Amino acid sequence: MDYGRERNTGDTEPLTPAVKISRRAMVAGMVATTAVVFLPLSNSAFAKTSDQDMMAFLLLSSALTGVDIKTLAPEFSPGSGDILSADPGTDPIDIKSDYFRQVNAHGTAASFAKLLQIAKDNRLSKDNIIVKVNASDDDTKFLARSIVLLWYLGSWYEPGDLKNAAASPESVHAPIKQRVLSAKAYTQGLVWQIVGAHPMGYSNLQFGYWSREPRDPNSPLDLFSPAKL
Amino acid sequence: MADNSITCDVAIVGSGFAGSFIANELSRKGIKVVILEAGPDVQPNFNAYMKSFYEASSKVPESPYPPAVRDFKDKNFINPKNVAAGRPSSLTVGGAAWKDPGQAYLDQSTSKRPFKSTYERIAGGTAHWMGLTPRLVPNDFRMKTMYGKDQSGFVDWPIDYNTIEPFYQKAEAELGVAAYVDEQRFCGIEFSGNYQYPMPRIPPSLFDQRVGEALAHLGEGETQFLGMGRSVTSLAVRSLPSARNSQPYRNRRACAGNTNCIPICPIQAKYDPTITLNEATNNGARLFHHRVASQILIENGRVSGITFITYDREDGPKTGSGIIKAGVYVIAANGIETPRLLLMSKNKGQTPNGVANSSDMVGRNLMDHPQYLTWGLLPQPVFPYRGPLVTSAIGELCDGPFRAQRAAFRVSLGNEGWTTVVGGGARFGADPNVTTLDFVNGMNFSGVNTKGLTGLGGNNRALFGHDLTKTLGNLISRQFRIAFPIEQNPDPNNRVTLSSALDALGLQRPKINYDISDYTKQGFATAFLLKKLIFSKLGATDFTSVPQDDPAAFKIDGTPELFTYGGAGHVMGTYRMGNDSKTSVVDGWQRSHDHTNLYLVGSGTFPTVGTANPTLTLSALALRTVEDIVKNFPSLRS
Repeated sequence: MDYGRERNTGDTEPLTPAVKISRRAMVAGMVATTAVVFLPLSNSAFAKTSDQDMMAFLLLSSALTGVDIKTLAPEFSPGSGDILSADPGTDPIDIKSDYFRQVNAHGTAASFAKLLQIAKDNRLSKDNIIVKVNASDDDTKFLARSIVLLWYLGSWYEPGDLKNAAASPESVHAPIKQRVLSAKAYTQGLVWQIVGAHPMGYSNLQFGYWSREPRDPNSPLDLFSPAKL
Repeated sequence: MADNSITCDVAIVGSGFAGSFIANELSRKGIKVVILEAGPDVQPNFNAYMKSFYEASSKVPESPYPPAVRDFKDKNFINPKNVAAGRPSSLTVGGAAWKDPGQAYLDQSTSKRPFKSTYERIAGGTAHWMGLTPRLVPNDFRMKTMYGKDQSGFVDWPIDYNTIEPFYQKAEAELGVAAYVDEQRFCGIEFSGNYQYPMPRIPPSLFDQRVGEALAHLGEGETQFLGMGRSVTSLAVRSLPSARNSQPYRNRRACAGNTNCIPICPIQAKYDPTITLNEATNNGARLFHHRVASQILIENGRVSGITFITYDREDGPKTGSGIIKAGVYVIAANGIETPRLLLMSKNKGQTPNGVANSSDMVGRNLMDHPQYLTWGLLPQPVFPYRGPLVTSAIGELCDGPFRAQRAAFRVSLGNEGWTTVVGGGARFGADPNVTTLDFVNGMNFSGVNTKGLTGLGGNNRALFGHDLTKTLGNLISRQFRIAFPIEQNPDPNNRVTLSSALDALGLQRPKINYDISDYTKQGFATAFLLKKLIFSKLGATDFTSVPQDDPAAFKIDGTPELFTYGGAGHVMGTYRMGNDSKTSVVDGWQRSHDHTNLYLVGSGTFPTVGTANPTLTLSALALRTVEDIVKNFPSLRS
């Protein structure tokens, strides 16, 4: 078993619990978020082009969020060839498809296409993706930030609002308006796990865990790591 | 038609803690109880509430519960005149909305400062409580005798700690309180018999442990400002008694640390009154929901009935009306809705000042525990956003000779990071959103996106990738907040009256006038000094700030510091108990001085409020009231 695939590779900082995001936590989301309808990937879910775009979206998202693709898309399998031809997979929660739809349907499609192209062109280097995104036009760059916030918080921030606020950060005296995409999106927010916690109101942990430092009970690697014995 | 003319032994208005406790105890004895509830019925499960909470962009205490506060576009506040059974919202206590009855349910248009606490109007009452159940300490019951000065307005309770102690034990059994007696013996608190709490205590969080270590050894000179009248060389961080399961209790599971006691525990490990309410209805009590009591009728000095209005939809309109007739009447509608109902009940001019109001004390002496909220960053992580919102506190500073001069407080340690404090608090989304947004978008609304703190080589940095996860993991895991709930002394001008603004049923909404006294402000001044001491012992960086638009902001004479307060959700004092019918509304059994078959229960009867969260005490008082009802109305049991 390759537990390492669930980890956010390349990050050795002790204070980055992002590496411990558990797959089971994600799957469990389905149980707690009631009244959520799970739609198939998209109308053209199995079309090759759509899968390629989804893979590009995952490459882009992974680079920008700093979170491993396997966490963003738990059923992802890399295959042996070009990463763009890999299978993004369809897990029961499938939050990636909700986010893809949100970004693609939002009047930001042109900028989104540019972002996907950046990811395709730089699919071998996350660092290059970040460099190219930062060098993009404002519409594209701020859409990239909206995408990160979506993954982190499950909330949609308008790229235009982000741009206005970033232009004069010292004069921001009220937080930017945001909309929680869905109950499911809230419970899948990544920032909680990045800081070693869980979404408020959505814990899969056990009584008394708060007396100890975070350690993911669903990660055998963590429990049985030689370093801990 | 049957539903619109109800007859029973005991009629209760309100199905929160006090109402449910009384309904359950009486129905257990075979007494026919009917409860009128203004809001919706007990839900078959929490799913709809959880969905509302998850989807709320502002996760304020009332966010899971109906009725809606904002319109369908989530843009404007719904005008409360279009809401059948409205309630205050934390979303409207700041900014421009708080003084506008067109946006805020409570009419505070003439109030000096905002009353910030909120409550629910649903079956089971205030489900969004924190679940903390400390007892009042003995001196809290005799403030006039011990510390009273004319200007503080303190009075003694008609009962003392020893009188209520056995009822504390009963209430703790019903609520399912987790604590150790040995840890809770301070400031005179004693436990009669061989008492043990129903469950072991809730274990301390990493932050609790850190604070306990930091305050274990203090210099005598460092703590003199507290005015304790004794040498203080350490401060004990004690587990807070909580109605939170530390093991399975009465068919509910142990706490899983969802860090969401407020607004809602998703697994009901925290007690809420629907538990007792369901038991009451299983015992034969009948609950009628969507029925808003509109007038208490008086005939020959006794209550002869209560009229009510029915409705179906959140936005009304009235669909009918009815009357409930009983031998005994209990109003358990909380510290604002109870005086509102009493004041609305004018009986065609026979009771022009309202029912039970010969003392003119109904609606007066409104109190809360104004909260001094402080927050900072520790040098090392304590991993907040884990465990119950609060697990421990410093309690022993809540009583001492200083109370002759300034308000007492407790020190409540938060496990929820900056979620209720940063960036203007939860009404804006707060953390982790604020800090995350800062580092994604190159802003500094949180105050932490600075070169000095991040070591990133510049201010207002926008990050992607591993830099982002590393920075957020580092900073957010070091967050903490400390709250100081501060005692408020009674002031007859802090008051609930009736507004000319109506609700969708045509009833007058509550009007509030509220301020905090110099006595309370002096409590803030001392809390400020203690905050400085604690932060310095922790090596913490202080990020406490006051939002620009906060109408509660104030300064204390002689200091440059700007303060504000949060609402504790503790609505108290508005129909206080006492032995003298000229200066109080109910007696020590919570029975109206004016009308022998009328009881008014809940924290509105507290003549002074100490610093303990009120729910345990009001629950104990409700259980004591049951004994009085049974004793005075023996015919009910026939």
